Amino acid sequence: MNAAAVVQTSLGKPNAVATSFFFLFVLVTLSITYWAARRTKTTSEFFAAASRITAGQNGLALAGDYMSAASFLGIAGLVSLSGFDGLIYSVGFLVGWPLVMFLVAEPLRNLGKYTFSDVVAARLRQRPIRIAAALGSLSVVSFYLIAQMVGAGNLIKTLFGLSFETAVIVVGSVMILYVLFGGMIATTWVQIVKALLLLSGATLLAVMVLSKFDFSPLKLFAEAARVNGAGMLAPGKQVANPIDACSLGLALMLGTAGLPHILMRFYTVPDAQAARRSVFYATGIIGFFYLVTFILGFGASVLVGQKAIVSIDKGGNMAALLLAEVVGGHGLMGFISAVAFATILAVVAGLTLSGAAALSHDLWVSVVRKGDAPESEQLLVARVATGGLGVLAVVLGISFKGQNVAFMVGLAFAIAASANFPALVMSLLWRRFTTAGAVASMVVGNVSSVLLIALSSTVQVDILHKSAAIFPLKNPGIVSVPLAFIVGALVSVLAPAKADQDKFEEIQRRTILGAKPAAQK
Amino acid sequence: MLFVYFGFILLTAFNKGAMGQTLVPGLSWGILLGAIVIVTAFVLTGLYVRWANNHYDPELRAIQKRAFAADAESPGGHS
Repeated sequence: MNAAAVVQTSLGKPNAVATSFFFLFVLVTLSITYWAARRTKTTSEFFAAASRITAGQNGLALAGDYMSAASFLGIAGLVSLSGFDGLIYSVGFLVGWPLVMFLVAEPLRNLGKYTFSDVVAARLRQRPIRIAAALGSLSVVSFYLIAQMVGAGNLIKTLFGLSFETAVIVVGSVMILYVLFGGMIATTWVQIVKALLLLSGATLLAVMVLSKFDFSPLKLFAEAARVNGAGMLAPGKQVANPIDACSLGLALMLGTAGLPHILMRFYTVPDAQAARRSVFYATGIIGFFYLVTFILGFGASVLVGQKAIVSIDKGGNMAALLLAEVVGGHGLMGFISAVAFATILAVVAGLTLSGAAALSHDLWVSVVRKGDAPESEQLLVARVATGGLGVLAVVLGISFKGQNVAFMVGLAFAIAASANFPALVMSLLWRRFTTAGAVASMVVGNVSSVLLIALSSTVQVDILHKSAAIFPLKNPGIVSVPLAFIVGALVSVLAPAKADQDKFEEIQRRTILGAKPAAQK
Repeated sequence: MLFVYFGFILLTAFNKGAMGQTLVPGLSWGILLGAIVIVTAFVLTGLYVRWANNHYDPELRAIQKRAFAADAESPGGHS
C-alpha cells in the first residue's frame, strides 16, 4: 500500500532470528543423521532406506525433494511481478505428478532396486544401458546442483550477509555430512522436516496476508489488479510465444517423471501400493504449496509493492521474504529465511544421493564389476562418490559465481524429459524396444537438449550477448523429447534384437505382479 | 491430464483476451482455470488411488496367488 516506506529493509544484515533458526535446523537434522548413521550399514539402507519408509512419509519427502527454494522464492517473485504468468509455472510444475503416478511409480517400485536404470536395463543388455542412463542422470544432477549451489550462495549472501564462497562451502559440507553418514534414511528425514517447515512457514505467511483482506483471495486479487494494473490477472509477456509455452510445459511435465532424485524415492517404500499412495500425498502437498505461493506473490505485489521488490532483486526473488517482514516483522522474516536455506540444503542432499547411486550402483557395480561386488565395497564406492560429488558441487558452485544460471533448472528438466523419460517409457511399454534403441534415445535426448539450450536465446543473447539466437525457442523440450522418442523407435525397428524382446513377457509379469513375496519362495 | 494441461496452456497462449476477462472483480478466467487444473491433478490421482485400491489390487492379488502357486509346482517355469 505504501510501497516507498518499506524499501527500508533489514534484508542482508545479519539476522539473529534467522541465524538461530538455521542453527536449530542444522542441529536437529545432524542429530537425525547421527541416528540414521547407526542404521545405515547396507547398500539397501544407504540408497533406499531399506524400503521401510511409509507412504505418508515418502509423500512428504517427495514434496520436499520437489519444492526447491527456487520454486518457493522464484515463483512467489514471478507472481508478484507478473501475476498470472507465475501460475503457468506452478501449474507446469504440478501436472507432471499424475503422469508419474499413471506411468512410472508402480512399475519402478516392482522392477528396480536403487536407480531408474534398473528398470530400463531389466530386459536389455546391462552395460551399454547403465552407462548411457548414468550419464543422463549425472547431467541432470550436475546442472540441477549448479543451479541450487549458485542460488544458495546468492540467497545466503543476501539473507545473512555471509560471503558467497562461505555460503557455498557451508551448504556443501553440511549436505555431505547428511548423505555420507545417513544415506537415504537421513536424507528422507531431512526432506520431511524441511517440507513441514516450508509448508507451515508458507501457510502462516499466506494466512497473515489474507487476514488483511478479510480472508478473501478475490479481494486480494482485485486489490492487486487495482494497484498494479489489470494485466496482473491476464497472460502477459511470458507467454508471448505459444510454441515456447508448450515447449516449457512439455519439459516441466515429462521432466518430473525423469528426475533421478524423484524416481529414486519410489524404492524407499515397501511396495507398489505405498508408492502409489505416496504420489497422491505428494501431489496434494505440492498443489497446495503452489496455490499458497500464488497468494504470497499477489500479497507481495500489494503489500510490499513491485517497485520495492525490484529494487532489492531484479528477478523478484526476495518478494516472499520482504512480504514476511511487512506482515510479521523481523522475526518472521528470519524464520522464512532459515526455511529457504534449509530447503536448499535438503534438495542438494537428495540430488547428491541420486548422483552417488548412478556412479556407484550403475557405473561401478554393474559396469566395472559386472554386477559382482561385495556389499562393503559397494557401500565404500557410494560414500566416495558422495564425497566426490559434494566437493564437485562446491567447486562448480564457486566457479559459476555471478553467472546467470536460471536456465540450468530448465535445462535439468529438459534433459530429464528427453534423455530419461522416453527410454523409461518405451522400455516399459514397447516389446520391440532394443538395447541399441534405448542407448540411442538416451544419448540423443541428452545431447540435443544441451545443444539446443546452448543455441537458444537464453545462452546466446542473455549470457553471450549476441543479437540473435540460432534456435528460436527458450526451452528445447518440444524438439528434443519427440526426437528422443523417434530415434529410439527407429533404431529399435531397423535393428531388431530378439534377445531383448524375448524377456519382455517375463519383465512385464514382474512389472505388474511385483517380485515374488519371500514367504512364497 | 495431458489434455487438461495443454488445453490450459494453449488457451493461455492463443486467447489471451478471454483469459484476462474477469468473472467477478478480482477473479479472471485464467486464474480460475489455473487453480482448477491444480485441483484436477490432485483429484485425478486420488480417483486413481481409490480405483487401484478397490479394484486393481484385489484382482492383482488373485492373479499373484495363482501365478506364484503355478511357479511352485513347476520350478523355474515362468508364465
